[in-house]
Formats: sequence, structure tokens, C-alpha cells
Amino acid sequence: MRNPYEVLGVREGASVDEIKRAYKELVRKYHPDQYRNNPLSELAEEKLKEINQAYDYLMKQHEQKNTGYSSQNSSYGKSNSYGSNTTLYSQIRMNIMSGNIQAAEALLNRVTVKDAEWHYLRGLIFMRKGWYNEAVNSISIAVNMDPSNMEYRDALNRIAYANNRYQTYGYDRRYSAGGMDLCTMCQCLICSDCCCECMGGDLIRCI
Amino acid sequence: MFGYIVPDKGEMKIKEYELFRAYYCGVCKSMGKSLGPLCRFGLNYDSVFLGLFLSSLNNETVDLKKENCIANPFKKKWVVKNSKSLDFSADINILLTYYKLLDDWKDDRSFLARFAQIIISPGFKKALMRNKEAQQHIKISLEQLQIIEERKCESMDEAADPFGQMIKVILRIGCQEENYKKNKAIEWLGYNIGKWIYIIDAFDDIEKDIKKKNYNPLLFQFKYNNEEVEEFKDRIKEEIKFNLIHTLAQAASAFELLDLKNKNIIENILYLGMEKKTKTVLEGRSCNKDEKPL
Repeated sequence: MRNPYEVLGVREGASVDEIKRAYKELVRKYHPDQYRNNPLSELAEEKLKEINQAYDYLMKQHEQKNTGYSSQNSSYGKSNSYGSNTTLYSQIRMNIMSGNIQAAEALLNRVTVKDAEWHYLRGLIFMRKGWYNEAVNSISIAVNMDPSNMEYRDALNRIAYANNRYQTYGYDRRYSAGGMDLCTMCQCLICSDCCCECMGGDLIRCI
Repeated sequence: MFGYIVPDKGEMKIKEYELFRAYYCGVCKSMGKSLGPLCRFGLNYDSVFLGLFLSSLNNETVDLKKENCIANPFKKKWVVKNSKSLDFSADINILLTYYKLLDDWKDDRSFLARFAQIIISPGFKKALMRNKEAQQHIKISLEQLQIIEERKCESMDEAADPFGQMIKVILRIGCQEENYKKNKAIEWLGYNIGKWIYIIDAFDDIEKDIKKKNYNPLLFQFKYNNEEVEEFKDRIKEEIKFNLIHTLAQAASAFELLDLKNKNIIENILYLGMEKKTKTVLEGRSCNKDEKPL
């Protein structure tokens, strides 16, 4: 096992709070949802396992009862219950899951009636290939054909969510994003002052 | 390549910036030493990223020296020396530059390109001898790209695929360790970066390609109907941005699975520099204008 502190990216002898915070951040980063429809899902799962181990180890060391996190993890990525599918579709799904994209594509081409699920599966295959524009187009068709299906909508939302996450991470990483700048602070103060005055009080005398 | 993979310098720590610059000078010196001084004009940020990334991935202990150079004759600068990854990246850069010039000569009959191509051809031959495997893959990818261009492919994903495959293979060859799982993450990173370069370059070239009647996948995918260039760009901007950002998000997700040195610098490039570049290119500032040598 690697040094658990290193795995969690905290200094040796970090406090329980620090460890928890780092752990939460990492779980969010490597959560299977981030890697769904992505050829690296297995790797991410392993990484998460390592993080969980490190966390459990450190928590035990701190002689505290585990919080709910590790029990949640056992359920990640395993709840794939699909409704009634034709056998061909479930075969295609199996192939996509196991990363056998070519086989999935070949099976998909054998289907003659192109219903919503067909377009959805086609979209998943495109995702795996890294053809995002085609993927979004295909899944959108599926959503339009069957607007009530949450699985299709979910897939579409997840793509947008990944973009969001990427940009938020970059934004938070910027040095300027850290604290409040002077301008926002002044704005806040003035606003608070106005509010206070409305209610008959006064926060800043001179304004 | 094209010089889109840049760091966001303002968000770097001084020590990160200094190290990045040492890599930059290192690639330049490596090109000069092994391929001939004139090859150094082909230096760009993409090859610096390639060198830095591979060197960090291969866990190289870098050898830093202070040296003079032609661009800065009076002030000595830190330079990364004796790095296999940097030498590899310099070679790849020459191979790609050579093919790009060849392409320019074929497309536009640009004599400048022809002239430059002849000048770097001794360097090209040397680089080719050292990297036969990579050169084979580059050639295959570029041939596929040409087929796609000739049949006027209407899908930008399909058109970008060979380029993505090419960068993927280059990264895999440059990674010296044989670790199947690690390779998978490296390949996914490479594929997505390659696609990003291709698509952002396609967007950057829209105006030029309309004028010269060259193939550009975006014109076909979004059915260009002789409208004003700016109008067309505005029409497709959001969708292109969504795709480019998602490509970067996927590349970043692969990067998160790798253990390598210089994480901060690479993170800066992947999350900040490339995102910023995406926005500046989409908002219409040409890439050449804000790319300055260090």
C-alpha cells in the first residue's frame, strides 16, 4: 500500500478534518459518474479504491468510527438495472460496458428499426470513441423521441455536467478566485448599509 | 503542430514559470543541436508541452544549466539538458513541421513553405532515422486525413479522428514505461488533446479556408451558406465551445489518473491555459497574435 497521506494528498499527521476534507474532494473528483461512458472508468474505480483504503486506514488510526463515506462507495457503479430490452440491445450494452466498441457498433448496424434506444446506444458508442458532437446529437435524438426516458436525459446532462466541473475546477484554481476582492467587499458593505437604513438602523455612519 | 497548448502564465508561480521556460529553451536547444540551427524556427508551445509532459511522466531527473542563446545573447537562462523526452519531442516537432510545410506547398503552392521545407530536410532525415515507428504512424494518420478532406467529410468528429489517433500514438511511444493501465489514460489524454488541436485549428482557419476554398470540416458540418464569416462563426460558436470544453474535460479526467512530476504546471496548462485559448480563439483573436516567444 502507498503512503496513505500521499494518496490523499495531505501532510503527514494531518488532522481528521483535513483528511476528511481531502477525502471528500477526491471522491468527488474520481466519482464513477465523472468517468461514466469513458474508457478510463476501471482506472478511476481503482483509484477510488486506493483512496478509500487510505482513508479507512487513517481513520482507523485516528481511532474513530468511519463516517458514511466508505459504505456508500460499495454501491458505486454497480446499479445498472435496465428495463425490458430486446436481447440485441442488451448485448450491445454489454459490449459497450466491457469496452468492446467495435462489436457494439457492428451489432448496432444490424438493427433495422431505429428507435430511441438505438440512437441512445449509438450516442454511448460515440462517447466511448471520443466523438462528442456526434454523441450529443444522437442522444438528443433519443431524448426527443422518448422525452420521458430519464436514462437518456441523464446521459445528456452528464456531458454538460463534466464541462461545468472542468471549468469550475479551473476557476477555483485561479489565484484571483480565492477570496473576495476589494470591489465586491465595498459593494457588500454599501448594500448592507442600505438595507440597514431601510430598516431604520445604520451600518456605516458616513454613507 | 500549431502552438495552441499554452500555459496561463499569470496563474503560474515564479518557480513553475522558470521551469517551464527551462523546458522551452531545452526543446529549442535540442532541436538546434541534433537537427541543425535553422530547425529552431519550428519551435512552438505544443512541442514544449509534449516534452514537458513526457519528461514528467517518465520521471526524468532533469539536468538544469545556465546558458546563453541567440535570442538572448547577453543574459544566461536556465535550460533543461540531456533529456530523452525533450529530444524525442524535438524530433516529433520536426517531423510534423516537415509534413505541414509539404501540405502548404501542395495546397497553396507557397514558395516560402517549399523553401523552409528544403532547409529543414536534413533535420527531417535525422529525426526520421531515430523515430521510424512514430513516423510510420504520423504518415498513416496524415494519409487518412487527406482521404477525409478529399471526400469532404461532414462530421468534425470523424475529420478530427486521425489527428487524435496520431497524438495518442505519439504520446504512447514517448512514454517509456510499459504499464498497460497507465497507457490507457495516456492514450485517452493524447486522443482528446489531438482532437482539440484539430477542431480549434479548424475554427481558427474558417476565414482563410473560405477565401482559399480549402476544405474545412466546420463549413460542411454546419452547412456554410455563403453568409458573412462573422455571422457563421457566431452561429456555430456555442456548439464548438461545448465540444472543445468537453474534449478538455475528458483530457483532464485522464490526467487526474496519472502520477507524474510537475503536476502543477501541467494542470495549469490543461485547466487554465487551454481553456483560455479556447475562449480567445472563439472570440476571434488570432492565435499568432498572442503567441510570443518566451
